Amino acid sequence: MNINQLILSSLKKNLKNYYLYVFALIFTVALYFAFVTLQYDPAMDETKGTIKGAAAIRTASILLVAIVSIFLLYANNIFIRRRSKEIGLFQLVGLTKGKILQILTIENLILYFSSTIIGIFIGFSVSKLIMMILFKITKIDGIAALSFSLEAFIQTLIVFSVIYLFIILMNWFFIKKQSILSLFRVKSSTEEKVKKVSIFEMIYGIAGILLIILGYYISSKLFGGDFVSLNELFLAMVFILAAVIIGTYLFYKGSVRFIFYLIRKKKDGYLNINEVLSLSSIMFRMKSNALLLTIITTVSALAIGLLSLSYISYYSAEENAEYVVGGDFAFIDMKDSELFKATLAEHQIDFIERNIEVLQVEANLENIIVSNLDESILTSDLTRMPVPVISEKSINMDVSKGEVRFTGYNDMLNRFLTFKDSGNLELIGKQHTVPLTFKGIQKDKYLSYYFTAGGIPTAIVDDTVFQTLKKDIDPTIQGEYSLHIGIDLNEDDKIDEAAKLFTSSFHEDTMNLSRIERSDEQKHLYGLTMFIVGFLGLTFLITSGCILYFKQMDESEDEKSNYTILRKLGFTDGDLVKGIQAKQIFNFGIPLLVGLLHGYFAVQSGWFLFGTEVWTPMIIVMVLYTALYSIFGILSVIYYKKVIKEAL
Amino acid sequence: MGMNILEANKIHKSYGNKFNKQEVLMGIDLRIEQGEFVSIMGASGSGKTTLLNVLSSIDKVSDGTIYIEGKEMTAMKEKQLAEFRKHYLGFIFQDYNLLDTLTVKENILLPLSITKTPKRAAEEKFKAVATDLGIYDIKDKYPNEISGGQKQRTSAARAFIHEPSIIFADEPTGALDSKSASDLLNKLSDLNQKRKATILMVTHDPVASSYCSRVIFIKDGKIYTQLNKGEQSRQIFFQDIMKTQAVLGGVPHEY
Repeated sequence: MNINQLILSSLKKNLKNYYLYVFALIFTVALYFAFVTLQYDPAMDETKGTIKGAAAIRTASILLVAIVSIFLLYANNIFIRRRSKEIGLFQLVGLTKGKILQILTIENLILYFSSTIIGIFIGFSVSKLIMMILFKITKIDGIAALSFSLEAFIQTLIVFSVIYLFIILMNWFFIKKQSILSLFRVKSSTEEKVKKVSIFEMIYGIAGILLIILGYYISSKLFGGDFVSLNELFLAMVFILAAVIIGTYLFYKGSVRFIFYLIRKKKDGYLNINEVLSLSSIMFRMKSNALLLTIITTVSALAIGLLSLSYISYYSAEENAEYVVGGDFAFIDMKDSELFKATLAEHQIDFIERNIEVLQVEANLENIIVSNLDESILTSDLTRMPVPVISEKSINMDVSKGEVRFTGYNDMLNRFLTFKDSGNLELIGKQHTVPLTFKGIQKDKYLSYYFTAGGIPTAIVDDTVFQTLKKDIDPTIQGEYSLHIGIDLNEDDKIDEAAKLFTSSFHEDTMNLSRIERSDEQKHLYGLTMFIVGFLGLTFLITSGCILYFKQMDESEDEKSNYTILRKLGFTDGDLVKGIQAKQIFNFGIPLLVGLLHGYFAVQSGWFLFGTEVWTPMIIVMVLYTALYSIFGILSVIYYKKVIKEAL
Repeated sequence: MGMNILEANKIHKSYGNKFNKQEVLMGIDLRIEQGEFVSIMGASGSGKTTLLNVLSSIDKVSDGTIYIEGKEMTAMKEKQLAEFRKHYLGFIFQDYNLLDTLTVKENILLPLSITKTPKRAAEEKFKAVATDLGIYDIKDKYPNEISGGQKQRTSAARAFIHEPSIIFADEPTGALDSKSASDLLNKLSDLNQKRKATILMVTHDPVASSYCSRVIFIKDGKIYTQLNKGEQSRQIFFQDIMKTQAVLGGVPHEY
C-alpha cells in the first residue's frame, strides 16, 4: 500500500464518520459566500443605505469569519485527537512525522477544498433567495438578480485558505508534541478522573446558582430607576454580565454535578437504566466541558437576546409609527395639507381630514398615576406635568363637562407610569385651575410626536372646558405648533399609492409626516439589523450544535464498552436508547434552557427601549431557536443508536 | 444426579464466509447440573472463550442447540435473549466490566434494577452478597478507587445478586495477583456451596481450575477429556489437572 492509497482509504473512512463535519463545512462556506456576495452586490447599496449600514455588514462578515474559524479549528482539534491512534500506528510502522503531516495535509486539502467549492456553489445558488428575503424584510423594492461576484469568490477562497493553513499548523503542532506512546493514550488523558463530589464542588455549585439568580434579579431592576446615572447603569450591566457568565461557568463546573449527586444519593445505589446512562455520565462529563458550555450558552443567550430585541424593534415598527404620526398622514401646515388633499382628490383617493387644535397645559396627575420610577429621575414633577389637551369636538367624541379622558397610551409608558382606573386631577392654567374627574385611558393615537413629547398621553376635555383653558394658557410652555392636521385614508389598499404621492410632493425636511413611510423607514433600519443578527445567529447555532454533536460522538465511542456491559447484563438496545434519549435531553437541554433563560432575562430587562411588543417576537425567536437546536440532539441520538447496536 | 441447568447439543461455530471458513467449535456436547462448579480449560485458540460466549448467548451458534433450564436459547430472538440474560444468567469477566461512573453498590444493584426488584428486597440482597464477598465497606467507592481484587469481587457480587441459574466467568483471575486470585476463588467456591449457585468458568490457570468440581478440557474445538474432583483433595486434583494439561499441550515428551 503506498501513501496515495493510504490517503484515499482514510479519506473514505473519514467521510463516512464525519459527514456532519463536511456538511457543516459546506454550510458555513455557503453562508459566508452568500453573505459576501450580498456585500458586493450593487443592488444592496440602497439596503445598506447609510455608511452605518455598510459598516454593519462589514463587521458582520468579520464576525462570521471569527465564528467559522473558531468552529473549524475546534472541530479539527476534536478530530485529530480521535485519530491519534491511527497517527501512532503510522509512526509505529516507520512513517516520519513529516510524512504523516503530509498525509493529513493532502487528505484535508481534498476534503476541505472540495467542500469549499461545493459550499461556494450552494452559496451562489441561494444568494438570490437570501437577497430577496433581505429586500422583503427591509421593505426595499430592489430586484434580486443572480450574479456571480468574483470579489466574493476570491474573498471566500482567501478566508478559507487562511483557515486551512491554521488547521495544518495545528495538526503539525499536535503531531510534533506527541510520542508514539502518548498518541495511544491521548484519549483517556483528556478525561476526568471519576471522583466523589468534594466540598469545594458543592460550594461553587451553590455559588453558581446564586450568582445567576443575583444577575437575573439585578437585570430586572436595571431600568427600574435604582440605577440613576449612566455610570451606575454601566456598572450594573457589567456586574450582571460578570455574575451571569461566572455563574454559568460554576453551574456547569459544579451545580449540575451537585444536583445530580443529590438525586443519586437519594436513590441509595438503586439506579435504573435511564439514570445510569444520563445522571452518572453527565455528572462526570459536564464538568470537563464547563468552559465550552459556558461559551456556547453565553453566545446563545446573546444571539437569542439580540435576535429577540431586533425582532421586537422590527415587529413594533408599525405601532411605533402610530405614536410618531397622528393619522396616515399628518401636517401642521395648512398650505401643505391643502396641496396634498388636492393631489389625493385628483387621484380619486377618498380620505377623512381631522383638524385638531392642541394646547399644552400643566396638569396635576398625582392622584391618578403611580410612578414606578425613582422620584429623582422623573424629569418633570407629577403635580405639574405638561400634557397636550384637545377638545372632544375635534375628534367627534363625547366627554362631559367636569370629566377628562386620556388617549395614546402604550406598554412602555405603563412600565414607568401606571394610570389608575379613576381619580381626580387638575389642569393648571395661567390664572385658574380646573379640577376634573379622570374617566380612564385608551390606546388610540391622534397626535404626532411633536405634540406629545414622544409619548405623553393626550387629555380630551369638554369643548367649553377647552375654550376656557385656551383663554388662560401659559405661552411659555406652548410648542411651536398648535394645529394638527391628520389625514386618514378610507381604503387601506390605496396607502402605497398615497405614500408615493406624498414623497413626490414634499421635501424630506418638512414637518409633514407619513405613517407608512415612517414605518417602512424603521423596518428598513431594523430589518437590516435583524437580518445580520439572524445570519450570525444561524451560523453560530449550527456551528455550536455541530460541536456539541461531535462531543457526543466522542462520548459515545468512549462509553461503548459500558453499553457492551449493560447489554450483557440483559438490557436491550431499546432500553439503552431510551436511556440515551434521557441523557441527550440533559446534554442538549441544559445548555439550551440556560441560554433561553439568560436570553429571556436580557430581553425582559430592556425590551421597552426597542419596541412596544415583547411576547410574540420573543416567543417566535425562542421556539425557532429551540427547534433548530433540537435537530442536533436528535442527530446525536441516531448516532448513539448505531454505537449501541454495534456494542454487542 | 440433579437436573441439568445447561444442556448443549452438537454445537458448531464457524467464522468467515463460505470461501474462507474457520471452524472454531466442532460439535460440542455439554451437560451441567445444578450446583456444579465447572471449569473449561484449553490452550489459547482452542475455542474455550468462543464456547463460553456461545453458551452465554453473547454469540450465536452456527449449528446445534443450547437449553438453559429447559428453555431453548438458540431459538430465541435478540429481545427474548436480553430478557433471558437478565433473569437466568450472570457474568464475571477478566477485565471486571464495571461501569466506572457508578459506585460499587450501584454496579452491583444493576441486575436488580433491570428486573425492577423492589428497593427493600434489593437492599437486603445487596447486603448479603456484599458481606459474603467482603466488599460491603467499600460500597460507596468508585471502581478506580479500589484494587483489582475488590473490583473482581464487585463483579462477582453483580453476577450473584439476582440469583441467576448459571454464572459464566471468563478468566476471572486473569488480571489478579495470586493472593487476590485465591481470595476470589475461595469466595466463589463458598458461594457455590452456600447458594447452590451453578458456575461455569473459562480459565487457563490450573490453580483456578482446581477449585472446581469438574474440569473440561477442550482441544481444537472439541472436548478432549474431563476430570472429576470427586472426594480427592484440591492438591491431588491440581496434580491431575497439570498432568492432563501437559498431555493436552501437544508437545510430545517421548523424545
